[in-house]
Amino acid sequence: MYEFDWSSIPGALPFLWEGMKVTLKITLTAIGVGIVWGTLLAMMRLSSHRVLGWLAAGYVNLFRSIPLVMVLLWFFLIVPRFLEHVFGWPPGGDTRLASAMIGFALFESAYYSEIIRAGIQSVPKGQVGAAYALGMTYGQAMRLVVLPQAFRNMVPLLLTQAIILFQDTSLVYVSALADFFGVAYKVGDRDGRIVELLLFAGAVYFVICYAASMLVRYFRRKVNA
Amino acid sequence: MSMISIRNVSKHYGDFQVLTDCSTAVEKGEVIVVCGPSGSGKSTLIKCVNGLEPFQQGEILVNEISVGDPKTNLPKLRAHVGMVFQHFELFPHMSIEQNLAIAQVKVLGRSQDEALTKGLKLLDRVGLKAHAKKFPGQLSGGQQQRVAIARALAMDPICMLFDEPTSALDPEMINEVLDVMVQLAKEGMTMMVVTHEMGFARKVANRVIFMDQGRIVEDAGKDEFFGTPRSERAQLFLSKILSH
Repeated sequence: MYEFDWSSIPGALPFLWEGMKVTLKITLTAIGVGIVWGTLLAMMRLSSHRVLGWLAAGYVNLFRSIPLVMVLLWFFLIVPRFLEHVFGWPPGGDTRLASAMIGFALFESAYYSEIIRAGIQSVPKGQVGAAYALGMTYGQAMRLVVLPQAFRNMVPLLLTQAIILFQDTSLVYVSALADFFGVAYKVGDRDGRIVELLLFAGAVYFVICYAASMLVRYFRRKVNA
Repeated sequence: MSMISIRNVSKHYGDFQVLTDCSTAVEKGEVIVVCGPSGSGKSTLIKCVNGLEPFQQGEILVNEISVGDPKTNLPKLRAHVGMVFQHFELFPHMSIEQNLAIAQVKVLGRSQDEALTKGLKLLDRVGLKAHAKKFPGQLSGGQQQRVAIARALAMDPICMLFDEPTSALDPEMINEVLDVMVQLAKEGMTMMVVTHEMGFARKVANRVIFMDQGRIVEDAGKDEFFGTPRSERAQLFLSKILSH
């Protein structure tokens, strides 16, 4: 019978907190960039400009058809070398965190843009007509009338996607980057207590994500009200 | 010069012809009522006037500016052509006073204070001053439509377009909206109104246009139209909507 020994966790808490900070950094960057870039992609896709629409559709379909792990590996292994080559940067710098943030941000933008596109389409066409009839330009109609309503309808879906993203950041283990999951694994490996550390990490992910999905339910009720 | 002049306008969606060779004019201070069965193209025609719907042939001049000309600054033109929609289209995420102020501030460049004062004055005029801080969802359909009229008036329009302003309303709310429109007509506002409210047409219209299958079938003075409409289709239409 396996004997649990949790004694290595209290001492590891400061390291775990450092890891959590990396996890949060990646998550928040990807959410921020994802929403801004995703909004632009969605507007490109909905525009009557055919080339813009085609480019945005290509971007979204590309990222949605490739496994996230592969995108991350590209950004860890290939893109930094490529940039070093093109810009003549000194090789060997630690670009892992930057790579993770960029990789996630670009990947998530594709998913956010689909959510945002649906959100924009959920605003009745007549609202745009009314904005135009008052003399607003396309930009003003989007900024003042359509997007505020679209985002209000989208809050639950955007949050749900953020929860998925928060869990997916653990995939940065492929680059041995010390995120929350990575630190837990390393500490467990060092102390020979992998089972305890992974159970603990799993519990932390669960508590955070479950609390966040409660929040989603609250917003969903509010939007539908 | 006419305030609105529509010359030989045709429009199609693919193979489907929506408007065929429509011509008419609205003089300054005139009230024109456009009626006809559903699908006759009357809403499309009025939306062509401020360029919300593009058209392929013909020409529309509003205050001598060509709507269909790609060089025309449409937002600038629309800022002075008021429009009221069937489904009100107030902005649901803004309070009533913000609905009234937003375009004044963002489009005309008025200060927030000036815009609020103007909005409140017009809200008072349509009898809804007490509702300034509420949101559109808290008002009845008739109240929302009166706010929508006030919102259009806040832009100091040179003419007003009404696209079936009462057809989404419960019967008991129609009159409160028509009263505002009659008042506006009596003050000399140039108005083009798509509506089935023949009582309104009798009261204030100068001319009545009857459309069917994308064509202007009849364009006559009010008394002539209600007295002896020439086309059979107009007679049939009138007998249907006046019988109840």
